[in-house]
Amino acid sequence: MLETARYEAGRRVRGSVVLSIAVSCYSGFIIWYFTVLEGVAIEDVFEDLPPALLEAFGVQDLATIEGFLGAQIYNFVWLLGLGLYFAYVAGGTIANDIESERMDLLLSFPISRSRLIAEKCLSLFVPLVVVNVVVGTVIYLFASFVGESIDPLHLLLVHLLSLPYLLVCVGIGLVCSVVADRAAIAERAAVGVVFVLYLVESVVGGADEYDWIQYFSPTHYYEPTPLLIDGTYDLIDSGILLVSFVGLLLLSQILFHRRDI
Amino acid sequence: MAPIEVTELTKEYGDVRANDAVTFSVKPGEVFGFLGPNGAGKSTTIRMLLGLLTPTAGTATVLGADIHDESALIDAKRRIGYLPAHLGFPPTATGEAVLEYHASMKGDERLDELLDIFTPPIERPIREYSTGNKRMLGLIQAFMHDPDLVIMDEPTSGLDPLKQEEFNGFIRAERDRGMTVFLSSHVLSEVRRVCDRVGIIRGGELVELEDIETLLRQGGKRVRVTTTDDTGALLSTLDGVVDVQPFPDGVQFIYTGEYNALLRTLARHDVREIDIGEPPLEDVFIHYYGQEDTSSESGTGSDA
Repeated sequence: MLETARYEAGRRVRGSVVLSIAVSCYSGFIIWYFTVLEGVAIEDVFEDLPPALLEAFGVQDLATIEGFLGAQIYNFVWLLGLGLYFAYVAGGTIANDIESERMDLLLSFPISRSRLIAEKCLSLFVPLVVVNVVVGTVIYLFASFVGESIDPLHLLLVHLLSLPYLLVCVGIGLVCSVVADRAAIAERAAVGVVFVLYLVESVVGGADEYDWIQYFSPTHYYEPTPLLIDGTYDLIDSGILLVSFVGLLLLSQILFHRRDI
Repeated sequence: MAPIEVTELTKEYGDVRANDAVTFSVKPGEVFGFLGPNGAGKSTTIRMLLGLLTPTAGTATVLGADIHDESALIDAKRRIGYLPAHLGFPPTATGEAVLEYHASMKGDERLDELLDIFTPPIERPIREYSTGNKRMLGLIQAFMHDPDLVIMDEPTSGLDPLKQEEFNGFIRAERDRGMTVFLSSHVLSEVRRVCDRVGIIRGGELVELEDIETLLRQGGKRVRVTTTDDTGALLSTLDGVVDVQPFPDGVQFIYTGEYNALLRTLARHDVREIDIGEPPLEDVFIHYYGQEDTSSESGTGSDA
């Protein structure tokens, strides 16, 4: 049971650790920078920006540590950076194996294609969980260390509810991975789709006439900044993300089944 | 029940027919050679047998499992070993890690024994492996779970002659234990040494299906004749002559025609010396394939 997931997970440990260290360092820098900026009226800096941009960057209550982290870390790193990262990694899962002809061996195992792709997807929980746990802990500890306090429950929610969002990015990557002929194309396509969806939500969010388009973007259903500031969230949003992920996973399984290797 | 039963198996890519109604069966406990030049469609057949490709038409069973039935094929795969032509092992993993994973998926009853015969440096990462080492690791994973049927695509490419000989001995021993082996090759000498029967595929079509003995018999005779007069005249009047190689005072050729016609023709010449014998399988192959492919095929014969 789950031999493939275990094997693939083992191969992801190193990358997950490196990723967590990198994001932790960036987060540490941002927290330190916040302490340096204290006393400076940060919001004045941003007040000339158009509201659409403020919305796009998740700028809200920058004078508080929660608002600052929300804009500088969660909106950029979690929504955009990690979203792109997981789309990219998932984009390579199947396509890389097909391109390197490793898939021949994997499919000679007594395992169905659906199961193979599901277990490979499962192995991505290693970086998903490691980066959230490590960086979340580092942010909490470091903020306390510099004398700032963050509501631990809000912080926990920000990380926990980021999982459905990142899983949708994984799902987009998986679909690209089984459709594309070459790994590089699958990875680029996955990154491109997630990036465009991020932009679309940012851009049309302010325009009344076309605001329905934003519902297609996964970023619409996960907003870390308000979550961090006052813990507001809608469980239905996470539900929509999870259902989308399951849908994308099923789609990738169906497409993988029909494909010649 | 035949371990492999292929019926009218066809695979088309647009206008290209990679396999055209290929039909054959592999008997239990035999070593079956699937012979053909590169691009003949050998790998396509193998990939359909393993469910990697969906046939355009026709079907096949592997250890009784219909290749269209995924769950039946998955059950059968527990008893199948597979060595693909290109081994895409992850370059950063060690051979040991790869074998461990394979063991968890299919079992490793014979791993230790195989590691004594084939000796890749399993503690090192695969990116440091030579082609031969990779192939040995591939052979180990194909046999480690003691399968009933082993399917191999060009199994000895990249092995040095010594390891090739060990491989041949190993395959014969496995057959004697009752294992069924299906291997594809474009190297004739390899097939001659280990196979009981041979299917020859060309341009996606199975053109001949014979046991080795029949193949040699039907492949004609190698005639080597020395005359005092012009040998060119000798050959021009004779049907069924292929692969003509003149030498001083004589000529050598493969004769697939009738003996009496040959003797009548020879009687008109002043024959000093004649030798009629079994042709090497390479030449038999040329007979089936015709002259146009001889340049590439004689090349493969020489590395035997």
